[in-house]
Amino acid sequence: MTTYMWALFAREVKRFQKIWFDTVATPIVSTVLYLAIFSVVAAGRTVAGADYTAFVYTGLLGMMMVNSSFSNPAFALILSKNVGTIVDIQLAPIAPWKVGIAYAMAAFTRGLFTVVIAALITIWFIPGIALMHVLVFVAAMFITGLEFGMLGVIIGLLIKNFESFTLVMTFIMQPMIFLAGIFYPLSSLPAPWDYLSLFNPLHHNINLIRYGMIGYADASPLLSFAVMLSISAILFIVMNRIAVRSLKQ
Amino acid sequence: MKALDVSDVTKTFKVKQGSRIIANDKISLKIDEGKIYGLLGPNGAGKSTLINIISGIMLPDHGTLTVFGKNIVTQTVEAKKMMGVVPQEIVTELAFTVQEILHYNAGMYGVPFGERAKLITQVLSDLELEDKRNERARNLSGGMKRRLMIAKAIVRRPRFLILDEPTSGVDVALRQKTWELVRRMNKEGMTILFTTHYIEEAERLCEEISLINHGRVIKEGRVSDIQREFSENVVAFELFDLNVAHLAGVAADGKEFHLPITELDKDMSSVIRHYGSNLKSIKNEAASLEQIFLKLTSQ
Ligand SMILES: Nc1ncnc2c1ncn2[C@@H]1O[C@H](COP(=O)(O)OP(=O)(O)OP(=O)(O)O)[C@@H](O)[C@H]1O
Ligand SMILES: [Mg+2]
Repeated sequence: MTTYMWALFAREVKRFQKIWFDTVATPIVSTVLYLAIFSVVAAGRTVAGADYTAFVYTGLLGMMMVNSSFSNPAFALILSKNVGTIVDIQLAPIAPWKVGIAYAMAAFTRGLFTVVIAALITIWFIPGIALMHVLVFVAAMFITGLEFGMLGVIIGLLIKNFESFTLVMTFIMQPMIFLAGIFYPLSSLPAPWDYLSLFNPLHHNINLIRYGMIGYADASPLLSFAVMLSISAILFIVMNRIAVRSLKQ
Repeated sequence: MKALDVSDVTKTFKVKQGSRIIANDKISLKIDEGKIYGLLGPNGAGKSTLINIISGIMLPDHGTLTVFGKNIVTQTVEAKKMMGVVPQEIVTELAFTVQEILHYNAGMYGVPFGERAKLITQVLSDLELEDKRNERARNLSGGMKRRLMIAKAIVRRPRFLILDEPTSGVDVALRQKTWELVRRMNKEGMTILFTTHYIEEAERLCEEISLINHGRVIKEGRVSDIQREFSENVVAFELFDLNVAHLAGVAADGKEFHLPITELDKDMSSVIRHYGSNLKSIKNEAASLEQIFLKLTSQ
């Protein structure tokens, strides 16, 4: 990254660091609550050979990365459009795609920050969990952060106010999250939902993150990896188009 | 090479029901390096639209623009590196302090990390904001926010500084200081383009100006040339007793009377001969930009 882009990235990181407590407190509380519920309901149960609590836990870590990296740039951009400070990135000598990537990198950083802190606090409650494929786990988290960071940039540039943002969360993100196999394995779904879930891009992120951590996958990890890369490439192209158009009237 | 070369720039906006506003209509202007250039015009004339196009944040419908030879539409990033822009509207980051805003802004214009502190200290003293360094920007007063906007634009000492109405909503003392600063930056070698409603400011600061109205350049050139062009038009005089028979062609303008000039010496002496001791004052008036402006924009 050049100085120009790096400074924008650093600025966006600084922005969430200022509210670091909000950044991590909310996801940690919700993760702990989910875990409390699932460990009571599912104590000692296994799904398709994996410990159910560990299964859900890996899903929750993935969801945390997705939520943080998606909402960070979306919020920042919607706010700066409303306040008018968007003019700072319009005037800066940084190509639109680089602006987008700087925001997406900051989004990933926020996700990383959240996941690491949340994991350090909560992982002790998950008996016998270990990182099986470290590299796969790190790569899956990284791609997921960038992917949903770019989606957040797109949404942040496209929509005008926080009401629309809530709509996007409710009608697009939430269904995607609930059909991503975070709380249950695909094999437990009746046809055709098990098959259709393969078309939910988010399912592949969760699948690969889970495979990286506990070695369990309900779809081929290679397929998931390929889907994530393709979606990222598509999002990059779309993000560039939209950034070019909305940073210049 | 020109600092700025704008040729034939046109920009229209769609407004509701298919009608269009022509905000810029074939505007051309050139600014030599090292100059202070004024862009004048009434509200809605199209000044900010032109500034936005020059700044690379709005696309023209037609026309070409270059900043130090870099085409703003096709080499946007390179062109933007030359410019520091102070937009008309004051906007402030909610979360950051003055220091942080300047730090990241300098970085976004390529100033390496290690060089920023020195430049920030310098610019804070330029704008008398030293004691606000660690203040949140949102807590500054309106005038201070305006100065912070200027600080953001000049912190890295751009070659070309653009100010869109830097003195609107600013008290007299601060207005003076702003122009002092502009002069100082200009002496350091910065080329400057600004817009204003205060014509005296343009008259005092710049050699060359453009007057725009309804999106068109209606007058362009050196202030002194424009003044000469218009001043040669009248002999202006005041009288003690207003109830007298006037020379043919004399028109009243408030307390003053104007006689259009055909030949300066002859017209002056015929006024003196006609009014004699009733004359309070007489001059070949160098029209102020204000008068020229009013005259041109009311046509
Ligand atoms: N984004 C826009 N959409 C539609 N019309 C616009 C837009 N921006 C400017 N205009 C119109 O274009 C014309 C020129 O506006 P502009 O802001 O360039 O004027 P100005 O000379 O800067 O005025 P002022 O001195 O009040 O700042 C106005 O009629 C304005 O309403
Ligand atoms: Mg304006």
